[in-house]
Amino acid sequence: MNKMKNKKVTKKKPTIPPMALSLEGTRATKTGTWRYLTPAYQNKVAPCNEGCPAGEDIEAAMVLSGQEDYLGAWEKITRENPLPRVCGRVCFHPCERACNRREFDEPAAINALERFVGDRAFQAGKGFAAIQPKKKEKAAVIGSGPAGLSCAYHLASLGYGVTLFEAEAKLGGMLRYGIPPYRLPREVLDQEIRNILSLGVEARPHTRVGADLKWEDLKSFDAVFISAGAWKSLVLQIPGENAAGILSGLEFLRKVNSGETVDLGEKVAIVGGGNTAMDAARSALRLGAKPLILYRRTKEEMPAWEEEISEAEEEAIEFLFLSSPVRVLTADGKVSGIECVKNLLGPPGKDGRREPRPIEGSNFTLPVDSILSCIGEAPDFSFLPENLKKTAGAVFVDETGATSLPRVFAGGDMVDQPRTVSHAIGAGKRAAMAMDASFRGKNVSEALRAARWGEKGSLSMARYLAGGADGIAPTVVKFSDLNPAYFQRRRRKSTEKLPASERASDFREINAGLSPDAAPEEAKRCFNCGVCNLCDNCFIFCPDMAIAARPDKQGYEINLEYCKGCCICVEECPRGAISVEVRK
Amino acid sequence: MKKLLTGNSAITYGVTLCRPQVISAYPITPQTTIVEELSEVCSDGRLQAKFIRVESEHSAMACAAAASAAGSRVFTATSSHGLAYMHEMLHWVSGSRLPVVMVNANRALGAPWNIWCDHSDSLSQRDTGWIQLYCQSAQEALDTVIQAYRLAEEVLLPVMVMVDGFFLSHTSDTVDVPEAKAVDRFLPAFKPRYKLSADEPHTFNIMADTTLFMSFKHEAQRSMEAAKKVVARVDREFKARFGRGYGLLDKYRCQDAEVVLFTMGTAASTAREVIEDFRRQGKKVGLCRLRMFRPSPVEELTRLFGGVKKVAVLDRDNSLGAGGIVAQELKAALYAAPRKPKIYEFIAGLGGKDITPETIREVIDKTLKQPNPGSHPVWMGVEA
Repeated sequence: MNKMKNKKVTKKKPTIPPMALSLEGTRATKTGTWRYLTPAYQNKVAPCNEGCPAGEDIEAAMVLSGQEDYLGAWEKITRENPLPRVCGRVCFHPCERACNRREFDEPAAINALERFVGDRAFQAGKGFAAIQPKKKEKAAVIGSGPAGLSCAYHLASLGYGVTLFEAEAKLGGMLRYGIPPYRLPREVLDQEIRNILSLGVEARPHTRVGADLKWEDLKSFDAVFISAGAWKSLVLQIPGENAAGILSGLEFLRKVNSGETVDLGEKVAIVGGGNTAMDAARSALRLGAKPLILYRRTKEEMPAWEEEISEAEEEAIEFLFLSSPVRVLTADGKVSGIECVKNLLGPPGKDGRREPRPIEGSNFTLPVDSILSCIGEAPDFSFLPENLKKTAGAVFVDETGATSLPRVFAGGDMVDQPRTVSHAIGAGKRAAMAMDASFRGKNVSEALRAARWGEKGSLSMARYLAGGADGIAPTVVKFSDLNPAYFQRRRRKSTEKLPASERASDFREINAGLSPDAAPEEAKRCFNCGVCNLCDNCFIFCPDMAIAARPDKQGYEINLEYCKGCCICVEECPRGAISVEVRK
Repeated sequence: MKKLLTGNSAITYGVTLCRPQVISAYPITPQTTIVEELSEVCSDGRLQAKFIRVESEHSAMACAAAASAAGSRVFTATSSHGLAYMHEMLHWVSGSRLPVVMVNANRALGAPWNIWCDHSDSLSQRDTGWIQLYCQSAQEALDTVIQAYRLAEEVLLPVMVMVDGFFLSHTSDTVDVPEAKAVDRFLPAFKPRYKLSADEPHTFNIMADTTLFMSFKHEAQRSMEAAKKVVARVDREFKARFGRGYGLLDKYRCQDAEVVLFTMGTAASTAREVIEDFRRQGKKVGLCRLRMFRPSPVEELTRLFGGVKKVAVLDRDNSLGAGGIVAQELKAALYAAPRKPKIYEFIAGLGGKDITPETIREVIDKTLKQPNPGSHPVWMGVEA
């Protein structure tokens, strides 16, 4: 009996397999119960978007451009800025300064891509569809520079009737009369303005508010946007300033860009170191003159943009630094020369730039035939009501662009903000949003806060319309938030430029932009900071297979039954689009 | 077909005949030519196998484990520090019951820096759950690789095949390379009971609770015990088909021997000449080469040494603070034996130092002359 029992026991087959293995697959192990950290997809703000004063969704436009969907990219850009062809040529691109790729190799060529996208859309015949004003409110826009054009565009897009008043014969403001055609061809500007007008914006050129029309005549409008720019040139305040042959740089540019003839003679001195000085000098060169730029400090302190300075240098324009004019020499009431004094640089002033100090007895004279003074411009307030508050030579506006008068907004070079095309475009959009919010009875400040990209004042119309419900976290992605192991160093694609030797004879555009081969390559250099671009890294790395494509294939979802919270996905996301939350 | 081959080349021929599907390896002297030649046979199509270049031996073994778990026959080879680097994965492979076959070209472990032969690398891995077989000739290395797959796939335990670095890996000998068809008949394709497969999902190596963990280890222990019989049977079958067999212990003139020299690897072939000399002098001296180190062939050792008066153990290794590892193993194996020989311990040939006929003669002389073994192993040829 005993023997039988023993036999039975020893013959019993082992009930366990040779190695530890589950009877089911991985799904049987609900590793989600281990989790104390939870990863979550969280798109964030790319620094370029925050850096764009016009509030473009640059990151999204770069993704689409990388896929060669240039029309899609154009839609994204023009949701925010109706002038991509203009900006793609003249914007000083602070986005590229903010670009995280700068810390890796070189920033993405965003500005050149914006131009490429704009030109492609134009070639494809893209434009804005006319919109019937659906809303009862009407707005007046004074001045058709970039701020006014932007405001009119956004208001019309929102369904408001807009009348655009312009003192000059043609629309465009500083874009037309300040920026020379070799930087911005007129057909490009004309096309984008036509595009905006096609929305149903009523344009009233030759109508100077204060002369052809009184401020009171604007009462019939529900809101007014003032964007008349800064056209009054500052004067040199030196003896002999009233002689014939002296012109402000801006007036010179206005005349040249209006097709008027200007006789500068042979030698022309340009006084100043800003963009107007560069534009004036380079335009004078193209008219056959021999320009000399006089600047009171050194190249380091010049306020003109680096690209403008280097292009002027390429064109062999002469610079004389540390020199201030003290007297205009005249002969028969006409300019014959300019007397200058040499400067030394003293300690830094309020703006951080070193202040020039004249060296006594260092005076010298230069024979010149004309002088272009480019030492700054100021806005003209003469047409505005007295009770409109002004501060420090600018129309006062609050953070929503509102002036001291109800439903009167202002922007562009009239207000205290950097005098750039993109800042003007941003201010026009801000006013359009503020008007809409106020017409619709919303809290204007809150409505605008929901539209922000980051903290630098950049506002997005798409975000405004979403009311902040677009799921994008306010965090701006830093380079340290990225995982650069997944990026390869690649040289920034450069644009083709006309050789300097071919530029002096006419006002042809000198920059040919990116080649069709270079454009998508350059767009793919974009890191897509903070925004999931479906790279699959998280899906590949998840050790629990808890990550799967969303049914719409536009993103991923995390199955929390299996996510054990290791957050490898967060670490391996190249672009910081996944965040960690401490929760079960 | 007979060929003149180095030990490493003979192994490459043996591996190729076994048709592994995945080879993952990292080169290290003196194993390197095995990996080089295998990469060639993989690239020129003589062997239809995926050759995975890895960044370390740890990864080499991890790849081998994964491929084996997925149902492939796999091979890898290493030596010395490479084997030490694999240590963690060696446990995982045996614990997972994966029939991985690996060749280790025995080489000393640093420091100091040394690339030559001793057995300290593989003996350091004795507790990792691998079957360990030590070879003496290029022919035996080739044949043992083939036997190793049969063995591993039957008992579901990994097998490590050892060849002495340089003494065997790099010296040439005449080797009879078997016909591929004959090997195919001896070693059919690997058919695992469980494999990682999307069609039939299982999680391998799930956590085992305290009770189950011991059960798994007990199962593995039983398989290791059973492996002794399987090694012997596979060797017999191999001999029947190919005419060559090796046994668990390779005995030479032991039948009437009163003193037996006990060692592993190539030193045994040197010893044969010396044994003959002693025999000519009328001294009853024999030789036993331990071919299967793990599992320990306790029964065979008990049977063999029951009638022997003295054993001289020649260890090509040393466990600091304890002595020669083979000697310790022998002592442990014989502890329960009714009749035990006196065990004389010798340490020789560390770090590639030659074990010459003179060394062996001296070892046997000492054993013959001294009535009792000393309290410590004798270190042969150490400059004081």
